[in-house]
Amino acid sequence: MRINPWSAVLLLGVPVAFLFIFFIVPFGTVAVASFRMPADGGWSAANYVKIATDGYYWGALYLTFKIALWVTLLVLVVGYPLAYTITYNVRSTLLRRIIYIVIVTPLFTSSIVRAFGWLVLLGRKGMVNDTLVALDFVDKPVQILFTEGGIVIGMAYIMLPFMVLTVASILQNINTSLLEAARDLGAHPIVAFLKVTFPLSLPGVIAGSLIVFTLSVSAYVTPSILSGGKKTVMSMLIYQQYAATLNFPFGATLAVALLVSTLLLIAGYLLVIERHAKG
Amino acid sequence: MAGDLIEIVGLVKRYGAVAALDGVSINVRQGEFLALLGPSGCGKTTLLRSIAGFVEPTEGQVRIGGKVINDVPPHERPVNTVFQNYALFPHMTVAENVAFGPRRKGMPKAEIAKKVAEVLAMVGMDGYGERYPRQLSGGQQQRIALARAIVNQPQVLLLDEPLGALDLKLRKRMQVELKRLHGQLGITFIYVTHDQEEALAMADRIAVMNQGKVAQIGTGQDIYRAPNSRYVADFIGEANLIECAVKDGRLALGDAALPYDAAGAGAHATLMIRPEDIQLGAPPSGGTPVVLKATVRDKVFLGSAWRVYAALPSGQEIAAHSASGEAVDYAAKGAAIELWWPRDRGRVLAQ
Repeated sequence: MRINPWSAVLLLGVPVAFLFIFFIVPFGTVAVASFRMPADGGWSAANYVKIATDGYYWGALYLTFKIALWVTLLVLVVGYPLAYTITYNVRSTLLRRIIYIVIVTPLFTSSIVRAFGWLVLLGRKGMVNDTLVALDFVDKPVQILFTEGGIVIGMAYIMLPFMVLTVASILQNINTSLLEAARDLGAHPIVAFLKVTFPLSLPGVIAGSLIVFTLSVSAYVTPSILSGGKKTVMSMLIYQQYAATLNFPFGATLAVALLVSTLLLIAGYLLVIERHAKG
Repeated sequence: MAGDLIEIVGLVKRYGAVAALDGVSINVRQGEFLALLGPSGCGKTTLLRSIAGFVEPTEGQVRIGGKVINDVPPHERPVNTVFQNYALFPHMTVAENVAFGPRRKGMPKAEIAKKVAEVLAMVGMDGYGERYPRQLSGGQQQRIALARAIVNQPQVLLLDEPLGALDLKLRKRMQVELKRLHGQLGITFIYVTHDQEEALAMADRIAVMNQGKVAQIGTGQDIYRAPNSRYVADFIGEANLIECAVKDGRLALGDAALPYDAAGAGAHATLMIRPEDIQLGAPPSGGTPVVLKATVRDKVFLGSAWRVYAALPSGQEIAAHSASGEAVDYAAKGAAIELWWPRDRGRVLAQ
């Protein structure tokens, strides 16, 4: 398609300008600030040295990624079958639309409200524990709230729509005659799924897991409420520096460290996938 | 008939109130090339898909080798399909696509590689094993789809309009190649098409389908020469369908009685005559020609022959495809002429 050069400038220029003003400039400001000393405003890399040498920050970074990884896995395990069922097993268009609405509606609710909802559900006298005790799975209520597991559950619930919608949109575009061809060539339905459907849906799985992982790494509200202050992820540390300690330069350093390490992880992930696809 | 490879008995498939198949019974012989011919929506694809196992019939049976396979899932049926859009796996190379079937049977790797190479050579695609389907042209993809199916040596190969997406020239070539392949392999082919020329060119027998039923089944010549209904006559080739009255058990056109027996046809019947059977001018002496008077409406020169459109006294137009000759060459527009054909070329069709 040929478009006129002025339209091209406009189409490209507007988003680029937007990104520049609202992302590049603020990020540059933060990156510059991370090299200032809080005490005298002089230039120094001391903030980075502090993070690199203090195990506490490594611990927070590790916990952040660990939680994000578990959230991604849990969302994938729950979300993929859900997306598959909606796409292939729900015949009625009306029912399918209703299911989509049910999946998307929680996104309209504030995550603060939803996190408090989980406080009620996961508490010692909450519905989850009551059910576990009533069904004799456990003798007495177990501690879920304020643990890593509790944070993972709460965040996975928030991230689920992103995975389901991404995977379902890819599954919808897989030509069903490919599945018929696999069956026709002697593949049991399970084999047809493993050899045809799943490999073809990988772009959705990759995109969905990237979205969920990055959103989980930067999530603040849900982990801070569900941790009860007992676990600290990077976003909480950054918030503390900016809002409580008022050490803006160190907060900036933490933010840059989180961004760079997340980018490195994602780059590694994509590299592995690319290798695998070629090999 | 016992001994036929495929027996389809009273097959019905209803979607709600609509019957896609409405009592189809067909027997297919071992090694036969059968074409299912009909316009879109006539049920031919539904029939093919019930043999493959993707459509569950509402009533009736599909038997292969005497065994009812209604409840056998698609992956356990001794049939393979060449899909209309080829349905090649886009994430696999050509060789992996072709090896998909043999792998499911757990064949040893070395043997699979040998078979894949053999089949690719058979369809003229050796050396393409490492490519991906998207790197191939439509005709090449078609060949791979064929290779992927025949590598499994199925008892029956089902082909769903496999040449529909190809251009005319390539289609003609593939028709010849498919026919040759059929002879080489000895596999039974069931071939769905809406193209009557394709069916005539390739099939041993043709089943003409209409509204979920088999309208007529027979060799191409049977169906072309002796159609059993207006629908079949009109669908296969070109036909003049002349509406006639029935008087005293014989056809009559206006005042002229025609030498065709139509007892039991009711008050009206249709006379079918192919354009190429009609000659212009005086009939030769001897034989039993049918002669009609007509007026020339239009005349088109086709090189090897003339195409003449003439009006009968009743106003009905009939087309004649007549080789050059004095009578045709000088028949001017509006001229009164005589048309004739050998009696046995006409066919009486009941309404």
